[in-house]
Amino acid sequence: MPSSTSTLPVKKIEKERKITQLPDEYEYDSSDEEDIRNTVGNIPMEWYRDYDHIGYDVEGKKLLKPQKGDQLDEFLDKMENPDYWRTVDNKSTGQKVLLSKEDVNIIQNMQKFKNPTGSNMYEPWVDYFSNEKMIHPISNRPETKASFVPSRWEMLKVSQMVHALKMGWMKPSREKTVQNEEEENKFYMLWKDDQESEITKQYRQYIPAPKVRLPGHAESYNPPEEYLPSEKQKLKKEAARGKPRLIPTKFSSLRLVPAYANYIRDRFERCLDLYLCPRQRKVRMNVNPEDLIPKLPKPRDLQPFPTTESLVFRGHKGIVRCISPDPKGQWIASGSDDKTVKIWEVATGRCIKTFKLDSKVKSIAWNPNPSLSIIVIAIETCLILINPEVGDKLLSSKTDTLISSFEEVEPQPDKPKVSEWNVYEDKEYEEGYRLKIQHQREISHVTWHGKGDYFASTLPKGESKSVLIHQLTKRRSQNPFSKPKGLVQCVLFHPIRPFLFVATQRYVRIYNLMKQSLSKKLVGNCRWISSMAVHPGGDNVIIGSYDSKLSWFDLDLSTKPYHTLRHHTKALRQVTYHKRYPLFASASDDLSVIICHGMVYSDLLQNPLIVPVKILRGHKAAKGLGVLDCQFHPSQPWIFTAGSDSTIRLFT
Amino acid sequence: MEDENTPHVQTKFFTKQAQYSVPDTPFSVPVSAGVEELTSLINGLLTGDEPQKEDTEVIKFDFLVHEEFLRKPLNEFLDQKDISSETVLEIEYLEHHPAPQPENSLLHDDWVSCLQGYSKYVISGCYDNTIRLWSTEGEEIMTIPAHSGPVKTVQWITQDPDDKAPIFMSGSHDQTIHIWQWNIEKKEVDCIVTCRGHTESVDCLAVDAENERFCSGSWDKMLKIWSSASTAEEDTADDSNTTAPKKKKKTDHIVPTRVPILTLSGHKEAVSSACWLNSAEVCTASWDNTLRFWDINRASEKSQLQGPKAFFNISYSALNGTIVAGGSDRFVRLYDPRSNDGAVVKSVFSSHKLWIAGVAWSSTNENHFISGSHDSLVKLWDKRSPKAPLYDMAGHEDKILAVDWSLPELMMSSGADNSIKIYSYSETKQKIGDS
Repeated sequence: MPSSTSTLPVKKIEKERKITQLPDEYEYDSSDEEDIRNTVGNIPMEWYRDYDHIGYDVEGKKLLKPQKGDQLDEFLDKMENPDYWRTVDNKSTGQKVLLSKEDVNIIQNMQKFKNPTGSNMYEPWVDYFSNEKMIHPISNRPETKASFVPSRWEMLKVSQMVHALKMGWMKPSREKTVQNEEEENKFYMLWKDDQESEITKQYRQYIPAPKVRLPGHAESYNPPEEYLPSEKQKLKKEAARGKPRLIPTKFSSLRLVPAYANYIRDRFERCLDLYLCPRQRKVRMNVNPEDLIPKLPKPRDLQPFPTTESLVFRGHKGIVRCISPDPKGQWIASGSDDKTVKIWEVATGRCIKTFKLDSKVKSIAWNPNPSLSIIVIAIETCLILINPEVGDKLLSSKTDTLISSFEEVEPQPDKPKVSEWNVYEDKEYEEGYRLKIQHQREISHVTWHGKGDYFASTLPKGESKSVLIHQLTKRRSQNPFSKPKGLVQCVLFHPIRPFLFVATQRYVRIYNLMKQSLSKKLVGNCRWISSMAVHPGGDNVIIGSYDSKLSWFDLDLSTKPYHTLRHHTKALRQVTYHKRYPLFASASDDLSVIICHGMVYSDLLQNPLIVPVKILRGHKAAKGLGVLDCQFHPSQPWIFTAGSDSTIRLFT
Repeated sequence: MEDENTPHVQTKFFTKQAQYSVPDTPFSVPVSAGVEELTSLINGLLTGDEPQKEDTEVIKFDFLVHEEFLRKPLNEFLDQKDISSETVLEIEYLEHHPAPQPENSLLHDDWVSCLQGYSKYVISGCYDNTIRLWSTEGEEIMTIPAHSGPVKTVQWITQDPDDKAPIFMSGSHDQTIHIWQWNIEKKEVDCIVTCRGHTESVDCLAVDAENERFCSGSWDKMLKIWSSASTAEEDTADDSNTTAPKKKKKTDHIVPTRVPILTLSGHKEAVSSACWLNSAEVCTASWDNTLRFWDINRASEKSQLQGPKAFFNISYSALNGTIVAGGSDRFVRLYDPRSNDGAVVKSVFSSHKLWIAGVAWSSTNENHFISGSHDSLVKLWDKRSPKAPLYDMAGHEDKILAVDWSLPELMMSSGADNSIKIYSYSETKQKIGDS
C-alpha cells in the first residue's frame, strides 16, 4: 500500500510543525492557525508583492508584512544568525520560519530519496509467537469464560455432519485417506537399477598389491647360527647369478650394521612392481578333469565280446602263422611253420585233419562262400587249393565237380603267363589237394573275394607283378597293375563293390576294378603297414602297422585316419573285423590281442564309435614273436588267435 | 563252549526222512553254529531218545535253510540272505549225501565224444569213427567201425533192461544216423537202418518216452523227427550206398534208408542238444543262444527262451520239470519251461572254470544233477545249492566232452583224455526208508 505509507509521514510533518509553532499562536489565539495568518486565501502571493501588507484582519486593518531587511541585513543575519540556514520564508504569510531539527532531517532524507521520517524499516524482529516454548504466557490474561462454553455454532455444524453421515450423503473421509496413502506410498528404489553385472564387479574388485616378504631370521643382524653360511656357501652364493640375495651376516650390535647398499634399488624395484606389473585376478577354471574326457559307454554295456580264454588248440609243432575259420563257424584252418595245415573242430578243439605241405605256410584263407569247400594256402612261391572235405558232403563233392569242370581254353600266345596252374592227381587228390598255382616270387598273403570265385595273392617282391588276381572256375591269373606301386603288403577285396584295397608300405590305394582306375588313396600316419581289414559294410578300413599303431579310416570322411589307437607296445601283426558284431581286434607281438567295440552307424552324420573293451592275453612269448593272427568266429562273438607258441586260442 | 553273550536264534528242525525225525520244539542255537554243531545237536537229540544204545555212529546231516544248503556258520548265512534272526528259523535237515566213489576208467584210442549207459552196458562214440560197447565193469565188449566221420552222439533206444537184442543209434560228422541192433547172445551188431537227411554233422539224438520216435539236431540248424521203429514200411533199400562202405562190408546186406517224419527249422545256428519234455514237446538248445520248444503234433515252434551264451548241452528232468543247460561260459543255468514270468533262469550254478560240455539230471533224485566241463571236472550238484557243488569228481586229465547219468547208480563222463570215468552214486537212506 504505497498511498498509506506516503500519507502517514505528511501528517507527521504537520504535527511537528504544530509543535514548533503553536506555542506562539496559542498565546493569543486559540483558533485555527491557518485562518489567523493567511486571510487572503489561496491566491497567488504576487498580487501582494507591491504592497506592505498581505490581507486584512477581522477589524479590517491591514495586516502588515514583516519587516524585510536589505541585502546587508541579510548578509549580517547570514553571518551572525547560526540558524540562518534553516530559516525559510512562509510565502503565505511572508514571515520567517525557523525549521526544526526534525524538519531539516526530513528535508535531507527526501533529498537523498530516503524515507522522510528517517525511521529504520528493518528493525530487529521480535518473535513473540515462536515455536520455542516459553515458560511465561505472552499475555497474562486469563482464559475467558466463554471459551469454556461449548460453541453453539460448532454444535450445529457437527450435528449437520452427523446427520449427513447417517443419511449417507457424506462418506467418511477415511477410505479416501487410505487410497491417498497408497498412492502416496508408491515408493521406488532410487538405486535399484544400478546393480552391476558380475563381470564388471569382478573387474572393479580391488586387487591388493603383492605383499613384500617380511624379513626372517636370515635377514636379522644377529641371525641364529644355522642361518650363517660357511665360507664355501658364501662364495657360492656370491657367485650365484640372478637377483643378489642378502647373505646372512652376524653383527655384534645393531650399532655396527652398515647402511643397506641396495636400499634405493629395492625401493625402486618395488615401485616398479607396484605400478608396472599388470595385476590381474587369475580366473581359475573350475573344471572337473573327468568332464574333459569324452563320454564313452562302459565296456560292460557293449557286451558281448570275447573276454576269457576258453579253448586251446594244441597240435602244431611250429609257429602258427595264419588261421581262417570256415564261413559256418564249425571249423577253423590253421597254417604253421611246421609245414602243415590243420583243420580243427571249433566246439571241442579237436584236430580233425592235417595236410602236409612242402614248406612253411605263409597265409591261409577259407573260401567265404558257404556253398564251396575250398581252402587256399600260400607257401613259398605257390598257392595250393585244397578241399578239406569236412562239413556237408554234398558241398564238397559239388566243389570237386566245379573244380574239375574246367575246360582248357587255348592259351593266348602273346600274353606271357603270370602263373602256372597244376592239378593234383591220384593219391594227393584223394587226400584233398586239388590245385597248385605256381608263382614266380614268394607269396606273402592270399585273400578271397566275397563270392568265392576270385582270389588275390600278394607278392611283395614281385615288382610289377606284385598283385595277382586268380579266377578259380576259369583257372586263370591276371596282373591288374602294370607298374609297381611300392612294396605291397596285402590286398583285400571290397565286400560289396568291385574295389580292390592295396596296402603298400605307407599307403592304402583303393582301385575300382570296373573302371580300372584309382579311386582313393589313404594316407596312414604309420611307417610300415602290416595288415588291413575292411569293415563288412565296406566304408571303413582299419590298418595295423609295425610301429604299433592301429588306424581307422572312414572312407566317407577323409583319406586320413579317423581314429588312431596306440594301445599296443609292439608291432601289430593282424587286424580284423567281426562279420556280425560291432567288434574289431588287433593282434600284436606284445602277446596281447585288443578287442575294440567299433560301431558303424547307418546314419551318415554319426561317426563310428570306437571303444577299446578288452585286452586278451594268453599266448606265451616264443622266438621273439607274439600273436601272429587273429580271426573272429563268423557268427559267435569269439576270437581265435594264433601265436608263436604253436597254439591257437579261442577267447569267448 | 557256548558263551552267554553270543546271540542265539530260535530254530525249528524238521526232516522228510522219517527215521531221523525229532520233536518240532524250537531250539535256541548260537548264531555262530555251523553244520558240525547242528549235526551234533541232531545226533544228540536222536540218541537222547534211546540212551540204551551205546556205540551209535554219528550220522552226518546237511541242513537246508530257505531251500538252500547251509555251508557256513548260521550268522554269515543269515547276513548274506538278509534273514532276520528274530523269527523262528525253520531248518530242514537230511542225511549227508555220501561221496561218490570212482568205479572204473574205460580207456579208448581216441577222444570220446559221447556215451550212454543202458542196463549193464555202456556205449561210447569216439573220434576215431567207432562206437564201443562196454560192460559197466569195464570190460570192452565190442568195437564197431560205425561211421566215416567222428561219432558225435549215441543213444539207446531200448529201455527194457532184459531185452536180448537192444537197439541203439549213433549220429556222426558224416551226416548220418545209424540205428544198430545188438544181439547179445550172438555178440553181433547189425546196422538196421540208416537215417539220412541232415546236411551237416548230427550233434544230438533224443528218444521219446514211448520209444516210438526220436529227434536229432544237427549243425545244419535243423531239428528232425524220425521214427525209431526197428523196421518201417516206408524205409527204402538204398543200394547206391557209397558213404558207408565199411559198414556195408561188415553187415553184408543192404541197409534200408529212412527219411525224417518232420523237419523243423527255426534255429539260426547249430542245434547242439535236444530233449523230449513229453510225447508232444521237444526242447532244443542251439548255438544261437536260444532254447526253443517245439510242438511236434502241430510241427511248429511253441516258444523260445533267450540265453546269454551259446548252449552246448541241456538236460530235462521229468521229476521236477526243469531244464539245466550248459554252454559256452562257466555257468550251469537252471530253466523252468513252465514259468511265464520274466526270470526264466531260476538259478545259476557257478563253480566251473571253463565251458560246460555236458549236463545230466539224476533220474531218481529230483535235486541232483551232474555237469562236466572243459576244466576236466565233473561236479555233482544239488539244485538247492547254487554256490557250491556237493562233490567235485576229478579224474579226467583233459576236457570233458560228455556226461551221462542214465543208470541211476552210475555217473559217467567221457573226455578228450580218451577215457570214460565211472563214479558210483549211492542214494541216501531216505529213498530206502521211503520205499
